Amino acid sequence: MNIRNKRWGWLSATLLIIIIGIVAAACGGSDSSSADTAAADTAAADTAAVETAAAAPEKKIVMGFLSNCEGPFGPFWDATLAGYYTALVQFAGATPVDPADPKAGVTGAMVPGTEIPIEINTDYGCSDDKADKALSEAKRLVEQEGVNILIGPLSGDEGIAVANYAKTQPDVTFLNGISGAQDTTLKVQAPNFFRFFTDGAQWTAGLGAYAYNVLGWRTAVTIGDDYSFPYTQTAGFVSEFCSLGGKVTDRIWPALGETDYSSYIAKLPNDVDGFFLDVGGTGTVQFVNQYTEVNGNDSLQGKVMGGAFISNPAIIKELGSKVEGVVAGSALPSDATDANWTTYVDAITAAFPDQAGNAANIFLAGYYNNTQAAILGLGAVGGNIDDAAAFQSAIAGVEISTGVGPVTVDGNRNAVGANYVVQVSDKGATTLFTVPDVDQSFGGAFSADTPNPDRDNPKCVAGNPPPWAASITK
Amino acid sequence: MISARLHWLIGIGIVIVAAVLPFVFSNFTTSQILTRALILGLAAASLIFLASLGGWVSLAQLGLYGVAGFTVGNLVQADGGAKVFAMDIWLASLLALVVTVLVGLLIGVIASRSEGIYFLMITLAFGVIIKLLFEKATDLSGFGGINQIIQPAVLGSAQLDPERIYWVCLAICVLVYLGIRYFAHTPFGLAFQGIRDNTPRMRALGYNVTLIRTVAFGIAAFIAGLAGVLNVWWNTQISPGTIDIGPVIFLLMIAIIGGLYRIEGAWVGALIYVILDNRLRSVDLVGERVATALGIVFLLIVLLSPGGVMGIYKSLASRWRRSRSESGAARDGDGTAAPTVAGD
Repeated sequence: MNIRNKRWGWLSATLLIIIIGIVAAACGGSDSSSADTAAADTAAADTAAVETAAAAPEKKIVMGFLSNCEGPFGPFWDATLAGYYTALVQFAGATPVDPADPKAGVTGAMVPGTEIPIEINTDYGCSDDKADKALSEAKRLVEQEGVNILIGPLSGDEGIAVANYAKTQPDVTFLNGISGAQDTTLKVQAPNFFRFFTDGAQWTAGLGAYAYNVLGWRTAVTIGDDYSFPYTQTAGFVSEFCSLGGKVTDRIWPALGETDYSSYIAKLPNDVDGFFLDVGGTGTVQFVNQYTEVNGNDSLQGKVMGGAFISNPAIIKELGSKVEGVVAGSALPSDATDANWTTYVDAITAAFPDQAGNAANIFLAGYYNNTQAAILGLGAVGGNIDDAAAFQSAIAGVEISTGVGPVTVDGNRNAVGANYVVQVSDKGATTLFTVPDVDQSFGGAFSADTPNPDRDNPKCVAGNPPPWAASITK
Repeated sequence: MISARLHWLIGIGIVIVAAVLPFVFSNFTTSQILTRALILGLAAASLIFLASLGGWVSLAQLGLYGVAGFTVGNLVQADGGAKVFAMDIWLASLLALVVTVLVGLLIGVIASRSEGIYFLMITLAFGVIIKLLFEKATDLSGFGGINQIIQPAVLGSAQLDPERIYWVCLAICVLVYLGIRYFAHTPFGLAFQGIRDNTPRMRALGYNVTLIRTVAFGIAAFIAGLAGVLNVWWNTQISPGTIDIGPVIFLLMIAIIGGLYRIEGAWVGALIYVILDNRLRSVDLVGERVATALGIVFLLIVLLSPGGVMGIYKSLASRWRRSRSESGAARDGDGTAAPTVAGD
């Protein structure tokens, strides 16, 4: 009897905990549901009679944040928050609550040149690299939390899903975080979705021309992980290299997370001038180790162009001399000393000193760029976002100042900015040259009507090289 | 007898309350909490159907849900996917159910020969195969999933009329629930339960065990397929991430939280999961550690009540009955959809 009573005690306690939890949740839900209704009312007022719009108070500015706190990109959560808040500190006059911890947020953010506050929603959107999750988090922030400027998401598929969702929420303004799929802006073309950071293909701009014009390659093979991001990066290299007259004889796609590359290495033909390598994560280390075991320690030099993975400081540290001399594309320079870069690094140091080492981390930079664009757009309309279309066209016109110089957006609201071709050395990655004004279309090779980058696309076609190719010579 | 009638009344009351909820809550809550819970509950119901009546825990149900969703996405006008059919959404949904049941029967033929942990592993393997298939075959799954999948016109706009899809989901869930309860009493359903309780004996009696199990797996696939179709109607989007291993585990968690041996548990578990997933993030202590917090809730429930929340309900109900009549044997009131068997 005694034991039974004890068990009942436990069961009842659990039930109680669950009921309290659900009630608490429901209370939270009803709070925000009134906010929802208010937001819906405002939206209705916008589209309805003029006198209602005139009578309604100015819309409150609520900024929300969506990134990955779980999944493969979870470790970059703090870096993305640091980018977001650094822009708010630098351009909206906010003060960090705790300079050692970006999560703690900032206070006192205002629209530049006004006293209008920017409310920062701290119920951050937390996704896990899955489109569904990003979408449900975006909906939570917009429809439940009343966010009307959303910064995010982080990864490719998430970006496409959120951009599609943006089309259903014309009064809300979306600015990408660091998701890099071409489609997000090139094909979805939501009028209220902006990306003030270049896409995955743009990060390889200059490599094809360097291989063809400087190294004299005429034939190449590509090898990359079998999923969308390497497809996009490979597309950038292939389209530029082929446009100049190069031939890509084969494209090899090992499964993501492969641990033994020997069969793929055996497949790499000897009679080509070089190959484009876009195997990421631990795969980079494994591939290079296996390749150099077979072909010798200096066998990669002059023979390999790399995507975004190989110039990662951790990879360089691990592989040392084996990757020395390898040339790669990069959206950010790690060794720049010019005024743009210094200003950018100083801004991070001033806001979050511990994050200064992440300046060359694209996750931080992407959120920094896009948040900055939102703030400058707010400044341009004097903090009045009642007319969402006017606010969005103001954002489309801003020129943001970044570590790589000024960045603007094109007609599809995608960034036009500089890209870097770097060479790996024992000191890290040294910039060989900068490719200015890289646009998403690669001189017309990519458009809304071209097939998505995949295992076989884009096709290797000569002609119409991108505008920057001619200037990359010996 | 009284108790059974009481249960029906409670059930009807719950459905009526559920039907008026969209008038009480905001559009967001109707769409993102209630509708999502109904759809996930339906998917979990297909899992619990096999677990409660067949004694099988299948991890392929979310894969089948994905098969239905991707089939709809490929057959209708959408952004991504095959883009060659642009079929009517109703016809596409019907075909998606047919395809899902066929795939379910195929998996059933293979998996129905195994038991226990082996069945779990085989169905997990099928779940992963389906996910990898859609991830690799970008012709079928689009570059970043299939987006902008059209909805049936009668559902209106997901933003403005979220209550319509909610009512459709509610009606289908009620039908599926009643259908499963009915199925449990049919000769076929009884044979299926007999196989769960004593397979050699049923075989000795002349039942074709493999066939019965395969067909039952096909029925479960149909339920999972319904959930998959409703999911794309509601979310207008599906990507390989929808059916990744993480969501597979979450679906199992939903079933276990609700109670693996009570069909009702599917929706109870789904509602708890969806509310926690949505609201826990706002709790300062939890923040971005939602998965950890969900895991702790899961552990607590499993430790304290192996029958999940429905197990707590059942225990409380029988305790209440015992206290009313000291001599009354603690027999479950309706006991139809919950034929829990000792040692099962």
